[in-house]
Amino acid sequence: MRGILTRLALAGLLWVTGAAHAAEQHVLKFATLAPAGSTWMKAFDAWGKELATKSQGRLSVKFYPGGISGDEPDMLKKIRFGQLQGAALSGHGIGEIHAPARILEVPFMFRDHAELDAVRARIMPALESGFRKNQYELLGWMEVGNIHFFSTRPLANMDELARRRIWQWQGDRFMAAFFDVYGWSPVSLPITEVYTSLSTGLIDTVVSTPLASIALQWAGKTSYMSTQPMATGIGAVVVSGRFYAGLPADLQALLKASGAQLSQRLIAETRRDDVKALEVLAKSTRPLAGLEKVDVAEHAPRTRKAVAALEAQGYLSAELDRQVETELAALRRGRE
Amino acid sequence: MSRSIRRGYAMLAGVILAAPIFSGCSTDRLVARGASPLIERGVSAMNRETDTELARASIPATLKMLETLLLLDPGNVAYRTQAAMGFHGYALGFVEPTDPERARDLYRRARDHALVALEDAGVSRSTLNGDVATLERALAKLDARALPALFWTASAWGKWIELQLDDPARLAELPRVEALMGRVLALDESYYYGGAHLFFGAYYGGRAPMFGGDFARAARHFDRAAELNRNQLLWVDVYRARYLLRQAGERDAFHAALSRVVVAPDGADPELNLANALARQAAAALLAREEELF
Repeated sequence: MRGILTRLALAGLLWVTGAAHAAEQHVLKFATLAPAGSTWMKAFDAWGKELATKSQGRLSVKFYPGGISGDEPDMLKKIRFGQLQGAALSGHGIGEIHAPARILEVPFMFRDHAELDAVRARIMPALESGFRKNQYELLGWMEVGNIHFFSTRPLANMDELARRRIWQWQGDRFMAAFFDVYGWSPVSLPITEVYTSLSTGLIDTVVSTPLASIALQWAGKTSYMSTQPMATGIGAVVVSGRFYAGLPADLQALLKASGAQLSQRLIAETRRDDVKALEVLAKSTRPLAGLEKVDVAEHAPRTRKAVAALEAQGYLSAELDRQVETELAALRRGRE
Repeated sequence: MSRSIRRGYAMLAGVILAAPIFSGCSTDRLVARGASPLIERGVSAMNRETDTELARASIPATLKMLETLLLLDPGNVAYRTQAAMGFHGYALGFVEPTDPERARDLYRRARDHALVALEDAGVSRSTLNGDVATLERALAKLDARALPALFWTASAWGKWIELQLDDPARLAELPRVEALMGRVLALDESYYYGGAHLFFGAYYGGRAPMFGGDFARAARHFDRAAELNRNQLLWVDVYRARYLLRQAGERDAFHAALSRVVVAPDGADPELNLANALARQAAAALLAREEELF
């Protein structure tokens, strides 16, 4: 009899907790600069549907695409105030959460995506830990695309860049360090002024992904493009640590597992879009001769100097940077 | 009747009789052009329709009739622009809300019809696909006679791109669409109820400032469109809410604008009956998504 009562009491308890569980609804308000209908938003929409289905409606995502929630610093501010719980960020936004992750977009560091993928996989635990220490949960890594030079004028060699008026995103400490080391004179402007400034001649060169160059219509002003990327722009799908901590364990696991799959899809599709965008641009631009066949080994001393400067400022992490160097060296030895 | 005159008549009769045999195409064109008043009245009757279900059911037959006539007379510019307008309107009002992929194909079809008219106006395909500066020089030579071809090419092309924002090749075409619609604005800003202003309202209102959006400029375009059509075209407020107010995060204004559209009575211009009935439906659908959008 006592056993029956215990079982009944347990069943009741389970029913009560189960009901409470079922009633608990979690809404993830998620912002991105990617416009509705873009490759990224299609992937995010599918991710949102997957979360809703697999959680049986307990976890839903409400998207704010196309910069509706402002630029990345605005999004992060809204996350801090609890108006948003998550966002897709580029290196610009990542720099405000865990700047050391930007070691992965140092110019002329990786020879190809294979090197980047291998090194990133090795340092991913450190990156996740860094985001977590700064009150964010890293759900998935992504890329904004390969970064190229675009210019209104031809370029015979890299030294000529010192005489160019190159746009630098206002307030971007990371790129400023590389401009310093290379002796380039940046023209610091908000992104909204780049198109007009290319028309007026205030700037003559920009660094951008091919897709962004098309979407922002800079490509119509720049007849020359470097065909070899100088870096790969990084990106991350994050949620606030507070939101993540408030989820039951099964939903946390669902977010992490689905985030990993989303990451694979986003990286693959961004790389595919890069190739398509380059094909489009190849019809309307000519190569920047001075930036063809760049040997990354020749750039190592200068990039190392810029990285050291950023470490001294506390922007990059010496420990993580040495790990990246070690992994990259080991990888190259293995490939030779 | 002199012998030479008789011989002349005989030759003329011979030419007329021979025409169907040697110039079948010309006869086709005559037959097709004979249907012109019927098509024009048909378009007008459709524009005046207040029952959207009746319009949904009957527009496809009208579009196929137009395409039949275009098989007989492929270079008929009037039919080309009517077909472009018809496919564009059908896709916008009846297909895009539920089946964007099918709508995408219909917008392309609308654009392809309009492109024939644009070529006839003097803008070749190579110019259209070449560099934008050359295109702008070619467009500057066009006068008001090219307005229908310009407007419907740009309208359909713009929607075709909007439904393929994941394709870099389409994104790269946007400056061409902007150039075409810019020429419409320069030639006659009041053309098709201020439609070019409506286009630029969506163009600058639907993007964040960092991507080239300009909310103040978008608002001016919407205001001017409304002024030009004397607030008769309800799509102005639907587009204002869908693109500008949503992007700017102005939920109260979004709600107010669409609520006004939903209850707006038919205006003084019966040619806008169908467009406004569809605008009311679009407004109601957007209102139903308000919670999701903000």
